[in-house]
Amino acid sequence: MSERRRRVTTIAKKELVEFVRDWRTIVAILVIPVLMFPVLFILFPLLLQAEAEELDSLVVRVELQANDPPSMLLHALEQPGIDLVVVELPALENLTDATSDVERLRAGQLDALLRVRANNSTWEYATLHLSTSEQSNEARARVLSAVADWERNETTTRIESAGLNANNTLNPVVWNGSIADADAASKGEQAGLALSLFIPLVLAVWTFSSAIQPSIDMTAGERERGTLEALLGLPCTRMELLLGKWLAVATITAAGVLLQIAGLIFAIGYLATSDIIAVPSLSMAVVLLLCVAVLLFAITVVAIELALAMRSHSVKEAGSVLGPAVLLILFPALFTQVINLDNIEMFWFAIPVVNVLLALRELLLNRVVLSHVAVWFLSSALYATLAAVYAARQFKREDIVTTLS
Amino acid sequence: MTQPMLVAERVSKAFGDVRALEDVSLTIGEGEIVGLVGSNGAGKTTLLRLLAGVYRPTAGSLSLGDGTDVAEGRRQLGVVPEATGLYSRLTAWENIRYHSRLHGVPDDVAWTRTQHYARLLDMLPYLGRHTKGFSRGMRQKTALLRALAHHPSMLLLDEPTAGLDVTSARTVKQLVRSLGDEGKTVIYSTHQLAEAEQVCTRIIIIHNGEVRADGTPEELLALTQTASLEEAYVALSSDRARSVDEAEKPLSAWSRRWRGLFTPRTPTSTEVSEDE
Repeated sequence: MSERRRRVTTIAKKELVEFVRDWRTIVAILVIPVLMFPVLFILFPLLLQAEAEELDSLVVRVELQANDPPSMLLHALEQPGIDLVVVELPALENLTDATSDVERLRAGQLDALLRVRANNSTWEYATLHLSTSEQSNEARARVLSAVADWERNETTTRIESAGLNANNTLNPVVWNGSIADADAASKGEQAGLALSLFIPLVLAVWTFSSAIQPSIDMTAGERERGTLEALLGLPCTRMELLLGKWLAVATITAAGVLLQIAGLIFAIGYLATSDIIAVPSLSMAVVLLLCVAVLLFAITVVAIELALAMRSHSVKEAGSVLGPAVLLILFPALFTQVINLDNIEMFWFAIPVVNVLLALRELLLNRVVLSHVAVWFLSSALYATLAAVYAARQFKREDIVTTLS
Repeated sequence: MTQPMLVAERVSKAFGDVRALEDVSLTIGEGEIVGLVGSNGAGKTTLLRLLAGVYRPTAGSLSLGDGTDVAEGRRQLGVVPEATGLYSRLTAWENIRYHSRLHGVPDDVAWTRTQHYARLLDMLPYLGRHTKGFSRGMRQKTALLRALAHHPSMLLLDEPTAGLDVTSARTVKQLVRSLGDEGKTVIYSTHQLAEAEQVCTRIIIIHNGEVRADGTPEELLALTQTASLEEAYVALSSDRARSVDEAEKPLSAWSRRWRGLFTPRTPTSTEVSEDE
């Protein structure tokens, strides 16, 4: 191993050892990413399901205010989950007029109230509920469902009493066949489309944000603690120092991103068993290009973060610069989600950040458009080089040795 | 003079408009223990950083005795900055080994040397401990061990006894003297004249970025016609010492104005006396 490479790896190893010894950072950068997608895709839906089941098992108190309630409505409301009370409708101009009923709703004496009255040949109705109460919302949903059943029955009765077929009259145009079979895209391609809407965003934001803490610690942190001066007196060049630190931050970031992808693959695998989403079908060339795109992006991001952190006199100053800088990734990432990939203009693939995000989106759709690949690859390589040159300039500054303390 | 180890020829260093060092010429020989004495902001640390190759001179040249540029000859230097620069999540030995590896010294060789000096500094039992809980004295001793592990021919020590208790300071001073006896050159910055007199064979007085005197304690007394080094120092640095940190970049006009919005005005001496 050459002297230069040995020094670079010595610096990188030391940075990694220091990083590993701080368990809080390990949790933030390595444990959270591996759990993020399983929690989002598996635990969160399970939690929602459990909550929905809990709501389903509730018995809600509903008061029906009507002078002569229609039997079909009463029939629709008489179900196990509704504790129904029928009372006379008071004299009201509008059915939504606030009365003492509102106070009863707020006090939790009843969960929803349905007011119904006849107006010539039509029925008027209104529901009162408390939108800040889950139980009241559930009661309202059940009441509206019952009203919809009643309305459907009422409509059918009226159409048939006019001598018409209710089904043909209400649904004169109907779909025939399987909706799934009508899509020319395979299930794997459909899965790729679904994932392309958020994976680029998550990858980009995570790559940037996971590099922030180690970048600051290894530059502004060293500067603040006064360890940098001792290091600059050693027989290693500042470029070696930058390379060593870059290698360490890139390793940590790559580990975080890879763990996040592993968590994602695990979550997709789990969901695929329940037919919620298929495994995206990606060719080997696409997988390789995905890795190249993320790698070039990581090179650029880490170099810029190291440079900006090295410019800062303290950890606090570096944090106040790099923290808001996440928005420089987040906004283009959100914007990129709405760009139409069909017939897309070439220049989009040359815009910093946007180019990599679009490349990821296109690749997740299993599309390899050579002209697009050439533009995003060359532009990303150029930005990575510029970022590296900028970082090198920051590391060569004489004032990096001065500290606020 | 013994064989020259370091030659500075008309070295100047400026940071923007601030002239941190002005026209410094020195020749430091093998085995000399040279004390750099001066007030805060005099230019001692700037000179040490120049000698360590951390800064490049604005004018003049700095070279080792064999003509090598100091930045190229860092393997011959052992540096202890004022802040010690230890990594708190590493043990004392790991800190030492990290620097030794960057100097290209095998671990077993560095360990042997470290053990030798650690015995002298009573640091042997602490080499395997993380430096996070170390006292100022232990940190200073660890930094010294780190600077010595690659067997340098010259040591640059920036205020090595600052903040140390009497016992630790004494141990450090004894080690520095014994290093001089071993033939190592030591450049030792301090603002304690008594300390310089105890440890150093030669004293350089720096004031406002200029070398005001350079010689043995006896030569300084003769030069200033005084009876003590303290009087000699006062005579040589009678003009008011500057108060700026030479390497600190001045605030931009925008930053100055912004900070001013949230800074209460300090009353003038007249206003204070009127209130009283």
